[in-house]
Amino acid sequence: MISVADLLQDNQIPANYYGYDAYIKGDLELGLLESRRGDRLIAVPDTLIQALYEGLEQETGQASRLVLFNCGKWWGKNFYTRFSEEISDYYGKPLAELDMILFLQCLKECWLTHGWGRIEFDPTYQNQGFLMIKTYQSPYSKKLAKPRPSCFMEAGILTSFFSRLTGRDLLAIQISCESMGSDCNRFVIALEDRLAIVDSSIEEGLDYESIMTSLLS
Amino acid sequence: MDAKIKDLIEQAQDRYLKSDELDLLDGYVKSLPERLTLYKLLRDREIEILQKVADRAEIELSKTDTADIESGIKNLILVMRYCAMGMLLNDENFLKQRLLRWLEQIMALKEMRQINDVLYKLLNQILRQELSTHQLSLIQPLITTAQVTLIY
Repeated sequence: MISVADLLQDNQIPANYYGYDAYIKGDLELGLLESRRGDRLIAVPDTLIQALYEGLEQETGQASRLVLFNCGKWWGKNFYTRFSEEISDYYGKPLAELDMILFLQCLKECWLTHGWGRIEFDPTYQNQGFLMIKTYQSPYSKKLAKPRPSCFMEAGILTSFFSRLTGRDLLAIQISCESMGSDCNRFVIALEDRLAIVDSSIEEGLDYESIMTSLLS
Repeated sequence: MDAKIKDLIEQAQDRYLKSDELDLLDGYVKSLPERLTLYKLLRDREIEILQKVADRAEIELSKTDTADIESGIKNLILVMRYCAMGMLLNDENFLKQRLLRWLEQIMALKEMRQINDVLYKLLNQILRQELSTHQLSLIQPLITTAQVTLIY
């Protein structure tokens, strides 16, 4: 028999941890914007991201991609820690025990509330060992002098996040980009050696469908 | 507070409010005692009302896994809490933005439709017995919004 009193034992029923109204707090008198747990948040102007891209390009040339990617990886490592702490505290169980639907929904809401745009998980290639992540309205998608996918920081954050989540060394590479007129930014995630051909395909200017076809063949 | 009143508050920097605009605020304030009474009733009888839903649901959904019914009841508890607060604030958006958008996506993936269909039918039956017609008119629109969002 179901007992409602038992269901309500600790009185709190978890819902949407990352709901915008509940998640973003602030003590503006102190000059702080904070998450509901008290971690500091800051709003980054779009022009600063643009400036980072241009400044790095000017100073380091082609290496700027790698610098941004590594910044993203560093960020992703910490993001994973924060995300898993927040979620396991709130739902009262470790991230690994959370059901998949809830986990993905939390990640989507987290992404959205932080203003990084929409994120979606595309299971099409899952059985072949490739994860596909799509992002929309990404602040990191910037038109480059030589057109190519430009969400380097996002690729870094996804690399770290999914490597930590799965406990394996994965790599995320972007294969379509809003800055090049695509409907969204697509990132293919897999073990590094399975993605060896992707970099040269991007240099050749192949679209994501062709890249996926060659990865699967 | 409903969107119209929020808009009025935003006007404060530009001008004083007109009499008919103040009537809107007045109407809301006058409805508050009733809203508070209903809120307290729903709060104090939360377990009792939902236990009735649970008991009947177990009979009607005898072939369904108990864990799934429990999960449906838990979500119903949440929905009722947000409906009660939405009713108190006279703000349907509070319920929609804070909870329904989230639940809708979780439920759609979990195929909870059939369970919810039964749970909401039972909840409505029980509330009709427990609340006065006027109280029902305050809370019912919010519950219907939740029902429509989560089932259809």
